[in-house]
Amino acid sequence: MKTRQKMKVLMMILLPVIVSNVISAELPSGDSIAKNINARNEGIAVSRNLTMQMTDRHGKERVRETRVFRKYFGDEKRTAIFYLKPKNIKDTGFLTYDYADKETDDDQWLYLPAMRKVRRISASDRGDYFLGTDLSYEDIKLETRVSLKDYTRKTIGEDVVDGVHCYVVEETPINNDIAEELGHSRRESCVDDTIWMTRRSKFWDLQNKPLKTTHFKNISEVQGIWTVHTINVENHKTGHHTVFTFSDVNYNDGVKDNVFTQNALKRGL
Amino acid sequence: MKAYKKYLWCVLVLWQSTALSVEFDSSITATSQWAIDTNKVDSQSLSLRIVPEMNIDFENDWQLKSKVRLRAEVIDGMQINDLDRDGFSDYSKPVQLNDGVEFELRELYLQGGIGNTFLTLGKQQIVWGKADGLKVLDIVNPQSFREFILDDFDSSRIPLWTMNIERTVADWDLQFLWIPDQSYHALPKQDATYAFTSPELVPTAPEGMGVNIEHAKRPNNIILDSDVGLRAATFWKGWDITFNYLYQYNNLAVLRQNLSMESGKPAVTITPEYERTHVIGGTFSNAFSDWVVRGEVGYFTDHYFIRKNSLQKQGVVKSPELHYVLGLDWNAPWDILVSGQLIQSWVINDADKTTRDKLDTTLTGLVRRNFMYDTLVAEVLLIANTNNGDGIIRPKISYEWQDNFKTWVGADVFYGDKEGVFGQFDRNDRVVIGVELSF
Repeated sequence: MKTRQKMKVLMMILLPVIVSNVISAELPSGDSIAKNINARNEGIAVSRNLTMQMTDRHGKERVRETRVFRKYFGDEKRTAIFYLKPKNIKDTGFLTYDYADKETDDDQWLYLPAMRKVRRISASDRGDYFLGTDLSYEDIKLETRVSLKDYTRKTIGEDVVDGVHCYVVEETPINNDIAEELGHSRRESCVDDTIWMTRRSKFWDLQNKPLKTTHFKNISEVQGIWTVHTINVENHKTGHHTVFTFSDVNYNDGVKDNVFTQNALKRGL
Repeated sequence: MKAYKKYLWCVLVLWQSTALSVEFDSSITATSQWAIDTNKVDSQSLSLRIVPEMNIDFENDWQLKSKVRLRAEVIDGMQINDLDRDGFSDYSKPVQLNDGVEFELRELYLQGGIGNTFLTLGKQQIVWGKADGLKVLDIVNPQSFREFILDDFDSSRIPLWTMNIERTVADWDLQFLWIPDQSYHALPKQDATYAFTSPELVPTAPEGMGVNIEHAKRPNNIILDSDVGLRAATFWKGWDITFNYLYQYNNLAVLRQNLSMESGKPAVTITPEYERTHVIGGTFSNAFSDWVVRGEVGYFTDHYFIRKNSLQKQGVVKSPELHYVLGLDWNAPWDILVSGQLIQSWVINDADKTTRDKLDTTLTGLVRRNFMYDTLVAEVLLIANTNNGDGIIRPKISYEWQDNFKTWVGADVFYGDKEGVFGQFDRNDRVVIGVELSF
């Protein structure tokens, strides 16, 4: 083979590698994207209405109306959800304390009106589906933020979701125990790089089969803070899907500290 | 009819006050359950409950909440008048409209805050404690034992007229209760399906003697005979902790026995009488990975037990009692909840003179799994008393067809010695089928 031909073959082999390295060098790392997501302003406190519309594969529909509060106490995030309708779940309440310390488990409580008791629930339930929806307890707690401690991340490309450019970040639980707790083995999220908000997440189950897709829609600024107004979750294994619709979002009026107490769960709204 | 007029008046006031309200919310829940006695292969009961609720939210964040219950027994078997009504105060007694129908005010209270103090004033349920299925500190409200412990506690608990004041001071949530309502446990009559026969619960007449049961001697001073409770709750390093104190009349009457002569023959006259006790206790719970540990303890200064020799000291033994629960919940794989409890009660003094053991131990086990996005729930509950070797097994499956339409099928299987608290109902095994509709 002539020298010129050899060079050509070598270039054909090396070019994709060089190009891919150049592209990956241009993409921000998964961890830096996660940090940007978590650095986004969420406001100190927010109150809003949340409607959960759940539909099974046969078309049977159930709708829950709730009032949701979230507040930061320093690095600690507290979330309280009060069910307003329908009758069979009215007055149910959920409270969670999410600690910044990675070693400290979250504290969670559930108030069931039929028992009239606030029950402590284990934080290892976090991969379980939250009260009949397609989001897990962990999803509900994190909202639009991400867990830095549970995954290793890498940016694997770029995509466009709802006409918006985003980076595709692959997230893998750091070990099998965490994967089992979370209920998935892999997640691929498209993150809007202008406002650092996830636009879409795809999940794979522990057998690496498609599990669910979460689509964050109707994102707009409310009182200067980027806010998701619709989350559409489609479970590929069960055919069940849930639409979460947020309304009456308010960051300005603050939320009283005593909303995030067991007494408040018992009394309801 | 007097009490009926009171209820009517309350409802009218409620309706009138809607004019001042900013938000009005109402609902109706209708529940029907058919219980089939598996020994007799016959209906044990067929009941219908209709529970309307009305809530009014006022502009200043105060709320008025109300709930009434219309209950009917529509076939032979258990009947409305199976229950002895001596336990109820005049203010809380359900109104029996006829042999098969009763009407009861279940809730009527005003709730709201003044600064850092929160008030709940009116007829309500107060639930203390962490135990499931059995009670240690959940004794603020008495209970109807019409169906022993088979009915939901929310339904069998007897609501009381109560002043409930809560205030947060630093890291503590403090609660003060004043309960002028002198209602106590409602027990089944002697010939009812779930009448108590265990010697641990009711005295046994000496052979050949007749028995007279008098009306209960009830406390009657609305101030001096009221109950008072205090609770302090905090969250400390991951632990939910409460300290509880209650000064109350025991919800179960002391059954004092005296010899008398009936038509020239000796007989035992039983006089039920309510006695005071102090209750000092506490609760705790915490979560560790997949596990939740919880417990509660109550020390009763003055409890009364049935004496083996019914002719001595009026057939009762007075002693403090220590009662506690240790529970462990495990979130097992496949979303299964496995829960176990150890419940023990100690008679501190003269236990050998009573009809029960000094240490009484009950174990409970619960396995529950939710399926199909929480619309289908399957569970089995076991309660076993190790002293008498008796207990109950309660499997149940419920399904929500729609948000407002639920059905269930289950069984209540008693086993063991008929002298035991559970074994006494060994012949009452039943299968239940139920339906609930709400609007």
